[in-house]
Amino acid sequence: MTVTIDSPRASTTKHHKGINLEKWGWVFMRASGVLLVVLIFGHLFVNLMIGHGVKALDFAFVGGKFSDPFWQVWDMLLLWFALIHGANGMRTVINDYAHNRLVGVVLKSFILLATIVLLTLGTLVIYTFDPCPAGSPADLLPSFCAGV
Amino acid sequence: MSVKTDEGEIIDGVHYHKHDVVIVGAGGAGMRAAIEAGPKASTAVISKLYPTRSHTGAAQGGMAAALANVEEDNWEWHTYDTVKGGDYLVDQDAAEILAKEAIHAVIDLENMGLPFNRTPEGRIDQRRFGGHTREHGKAPVRRACYAADRTGHMILQTLYQNCVKLGINFFNEFYVLDLLMVDVKGVKRPAGVVAYELATGDLHVFQGKSVIFATGGFGKIFKTTSNAHTLTGDGVGIIWRKGLPLEDMEFFQFHPTGLAGLGILLSEAARGEGAILRNADGERFMERYAPTIKDLAPRDIVARSMATEIREGRGAGPYKDYVYLDITHLEPAVIDAKLPDITEFARTYLGVEPYTEPVPVLPTAHYAMGGIPTNNNAEVLRNNTETVPGLYAAGECACVSVHGSNRLGTNSLLDINVFGKRAGNNAVAYAEKADWVPLPDDPTAGVRKILDHVRSGDGSERVGAIRKELQDAMDRNAQVFRTDESLREVGDLIKKLRARYRNVLIQDKGKRFNTDLLEAVELGFLLDLAEVLVYSARNRKESRGAHMREDYPKRDDKNLMVHTMAYLTGDPESAVASDHIKLEWKPVVVTNYPPTERKY
Amino acid sequence: MASAVAAKSGPIAHGEVPTFPVTIIIRRFDPEVDKEPRWVDYDLQMHGTDRVLDALHKIKWEIDGSLAFRRSCAHGVCGSDAMRINGKNRLACKTLLKDLDVSKPIYIEALKGLPLEKDLIVDMEPFFDSYRAVQPFLIASSKPKDGKERLQSAAQREIFDETTKCILCAACTSSCPVFWTDGQYFGPAAIVNAHRFIFDSRDEGAQVRMDILNDKEGVWRCRTTFNCTDACPRGIQVTKVIGEVKQAILRGKP
Repeated sequence: MTVTIDSPRASTTKHHKGINLEKWGWVFMRASGVLLVVLIFGHLFVNLMIGHGVKALDFAFVGGKFSDPFWQVWDMLLLWFALIHGANGMRTVINDYAHNRLVGVVLKSFILLATIVLLTLGTLVIYTFDPCPAGSPADLLPSFCAGV
Repeated sequence: MSVKTDEGEIIDGVHYHKHDVVIVGAGGAGMRAAIEAGPKASTAVISKLYPTRSHTGAAQGGMAAALANVEEDNWEWHTYDTVKGGDYLVDQDAAEILAKEAIHAVIDLENMGLPFNRTPEGRIDQRRFGGHTREHGKAPVRRACYAADRTGHMILQTLYQNCVKLGINFFNEFYVLDLLMVDVKGVKRPAGVVAYELATGDLHVFQGKSVIFATGGFGKIFKTTSNAHTLTGDGVGIIWRKGLPLEDMEFFQFHPTGLAGLGILLSEAARGEGAILRNADGERFMERYAPTIKDLAPRDIVARSMATEIREGRGAGPYKDYVYLDITHLEPAVIDAKLPDITEFARTYLGVEPYTEPVPVLPTAHYAMGGIPTNNNAEVLRNNTETVPGLYAAGECACVSVHGSNRLGTNSLLDINVFGKRAGNNAVAYAEKADWVPLPDDPTAGVRKILDHVRSGDGSERVGAIRKELQDAMDRNAQVFRTDESLREVGDLIKKLRARYRNVLIQDKGKRFNTDLLEAVELGFLLDLAEVLVYSARNRKESRGAHMREDYPKRDDKNLMVHTMAYLTGDPESAVASDHIKLEWKPVVVTNYPPTERKY
Repeated sequence: MASAVAAKSGPIAHGEVPTFPVTIIIRRFDPEVDKEPRWVDYDLQMHGTDRVLDALHKIKWEIDGSLAFRRSCAHGVCGSDAMRINGKNRLACKTLLKDLDVSKPIYIEALKGLPLEKDLIVDMEPFFDSYRAVQPFLIASSKPKDGKERLQSAAQREIFDETTKCILCAACTSSCPVFWTDGQYFGPAAIVNAHRFIFDSRDEGAQVRMDILNDKEGVWRCRTTFNCTDACPRGIQVTKVIGEVKQAILRGKP
C-alpha cells in the first residue's frame, strides 16, 4: 500500500533541507527566554538592590561596571539575547498579522535594520566606553580614575 | 467544493458524472463499501453530510465478534443469540454469515488502525452486552469489542481515514433524491442517481453501473429518538417511491436507556459494565422480567419492562414517568475509563452526577430493523426471490434480515462492516461485467417534480408543525406498546398530515444552502415511511420482538413467522393507505434453530 | 443504596419546565442578497433544559425558515454545529441556555477564519484540506501474519487516547488567532489528528508527519494562547497535545 498521498496543500510539498529556521527560532526563543530571566534579574539586582540601591546609580557606577570584564560580558549577553529575542518576537507578530506580503517584507526589513544598528551601537559602547573622560570633575568619575 | 471541473460535464445547468460504482451515504456501511470498491473501480460516495458527521459516530457500546479473547466463545453461539434476540424472525443463513464474518471484520478494522481497548495481553478487549450469551443462553458472555464508549466514533473515523488514504471521491452535502430505474430488455436496472447540491442548489446526475444505498435509518418519524436530525429515511423513501418493496417496516427498536425527556442515548455498555435499572422504589425490577440475565436482556424486553413499570405506577420522578439507570456502585475510575462520554451526557444535559446519582432514563426510538430487502450478497430484492441487477443496500437502511424483529446491541456496527464490505465487493464485481445502463431522456424530471411539489404549496402549513404532529403521534401510538386502535388513530392522522403537506411553506427561495427546502423534502420521506410502518404494524396481529401488540400479546409462529413485504402500488396521495400499499409475506430462512419460547 | 435511589426526587426531566425569555442576536448573511452580514434579533420564550440548538430550531421552524445552519446528531458527537456563541467557539447542541447569561442577548455567529457561506455556515474545505495533509491514517507496512490483531498494550494505547476523541468540528482551529490571519497554518485540529498517529505504537509514519509539521506553517506557529483548549467540546487538551508534537519533533522521534 502507498504510504503517502498527494498533498492538497501547497505548503507541505516543499520540504526544508538543511537548517529549519522556524524550528531553531522556536528553540532559541525558549532558551534565550530562560537565560534572559537570569541576566535581567541579575542586572536589576546589582543595579537596584545591592549597597545603596537605586540612589547609587550614577556615571561613576556605570563607568565602574563597564571597566570590569565580567560585567562587560554580562551586559553584552543581555544586549544580544534581548534584542534578538525581541526582534524575532516582532517578526512572528508580523508573520501573524501582516496580510500583505510586501508590507510584511518591509516591516521585517525595518526590524532587521534596527536590530543591526542597535547591536552595533550597543557593542561599541560596551567595549569602547571611557570611564575617565579627560577634563571631567573628579567627583563624578569612578574612584579608580584618580590613579590614572 | 468537492466537484472538480474535470469531473464531468454540465448541460443546461445539470452536472453529469460517470462512475462505475455510486455509493449513496457515507456512514459506516457506505465507507466500508467504498474501501472495497475504491481501489478496484471508479467510485463516487455521495452524502448529505460530511462523512464524519454520519450517525455511525454516535454508536457507543461495541461491535460483537466471537474472538474469544477474554473468555470462551464461538460464532455459533453468536448466531444463536442473534436469532433468539430477533425473536426468530431472523434469516438464519444471514445470521450465520454475520457471526462468522464478524471475527474477520473486527480484525480488519484493527488492521486499518482502529484503537480498540486492550486486554493485559495487548489483544482486543471485550465486554458483556445485552442478549449475548454463552452456550445458548446460560450466562452473559464478553463478546463486544469496544473502544471506550465511542466505538462507533472510532469506526467512523477509521473508515474515513482509510478513505482519505485511498483517495476516495466524496461528494459532501449532496442530497440524493431520486434513483433512476430504466427498463433494459424487460429488466428494471438502476442507471444512476440524481442529487441536489446543498451549496449551490444545482442538480447532479451520477451515472453508475452499480448503485449502493447505505443511507441509514429514519428515526425522526418519532419524537423521542436517539437518531440525528438528518436521519429522515431519504434512501429508504426513494426505494419505496420506485415501487420496490420494503421489508419488516413495523419492527422499530426502542432503546431502553435514553436520557429522559431528551432521547439521547446512554449505551447498553453501561449495563454491560454493571449498571442496574431501578424503579421509584429502588427495586432492580429486571429480576422479575428476565431472571437469568436481568439487566442484560435484549432491548425489546428491557424497554417493555420499563414501560410496564411506569404504567403500573412505579416510575420515578415528580410525574412518575421515568426509571433510573444506576451506576453509583461502580468505581469512578472504571466509569472514566469505560463510560466517559455517556456520563458526560448525563452531566451536560440533565445536570445529574452519575458517580453519585442515578440517571433518569426512558426508552428512545433507536433503530429500524426493517428497510430495503436484500439477499446475503447485499443485492436489493424486487420481490420475494428476484433481485434488481446492479442495485445494492447495506447498513440500517437495508433488511437482510439479520436483526429479525429485534436487533441485539453491537450487531449493527457489525452489520455495517460485514454487509457494507459485501455490498462493495459485489458492486465492483457487477460493474466489471455489466454495461452502462443508458440514462432516461430527462433524468432530473423526478427530482424537479419533488422540489416543485414543495415549492408550489400555498404556504399555509409549516414544515416544523407537521413534523411535530407526526412525531408526537408516533410516540403516542406506535411506540413500545401498540393496539389496533392506537395504530388506526396515528394512521388517520398521517392521512391528514399528508394532505396538509401539499401546502407547506418554504420561506427560503434561494439556491444556496437552502436547508428550508430540504427539510420540507425530508418531511415527505418521513410521512411516507411512517405510513408504511403504521400500515405494516396494524397488519401484524401478533407480538414479536420490538413489535408489541397489546391486543395480540402472543407470538404466532404458525401463521406469522414471516417477513412483511410492503409495496407502493398506487398513487401515494390517495386518501386511504390500502389504496396504494400492498402487503405480502416472505418466508423466514430457518437453518438450525426452530422457534422456541423466548426466555432470559 | 436502594433507599438513596428512592429518596431522590430527581431532576426535572420533562413535564412542567419553567420558561424564560431570551434574546438571540444572529449574524445573518445571505450571499444572494446581502453585501455584508447583518445582525438580526429574535425574542424567544425558552425552557430551562433547552440548548442553543433548540433556540435556533425554534427560530427556523417557527419564525424564519431561511435561517441556515448545520446540525445532525444534536448531542455533541458529530461536530456539525460548531459556531461562535457570545464570542466563544461552542457546539450549539452542547451549550445550555441556562449556562449563559440570559439577562443579556446571546450573540451567535459563524466560525471565524473560514470563508462565510451563508448565515452560520462556513466553507469547511480548507479545514479538511489541512486535516488530510497530515496523513491522518495508519501507516503500517506489514499485517500480523496469523490473521489476528496487532498487539498493543493498554499503556501504549493510553498515550494517544485523548486525541482519538476529535470529532473534526473545527472549533479549535477556528478559535486560533494564528489561523485567523494565516489560513495556511495547519491549525490545532490537524495537529491533534497527526498526534493521534504519531504516538500510535502500531504506526510507522511518524517521521513523515513530523516532517510535515516541522514546516513554516507547522507546529512552530503555535503561540500557546490556549484558545483551542478552551474551545474543544470534547475536552481535549489541544495546546498540550501540540506541545507534545513539538517535543517529538525536537527529539526526532515520538
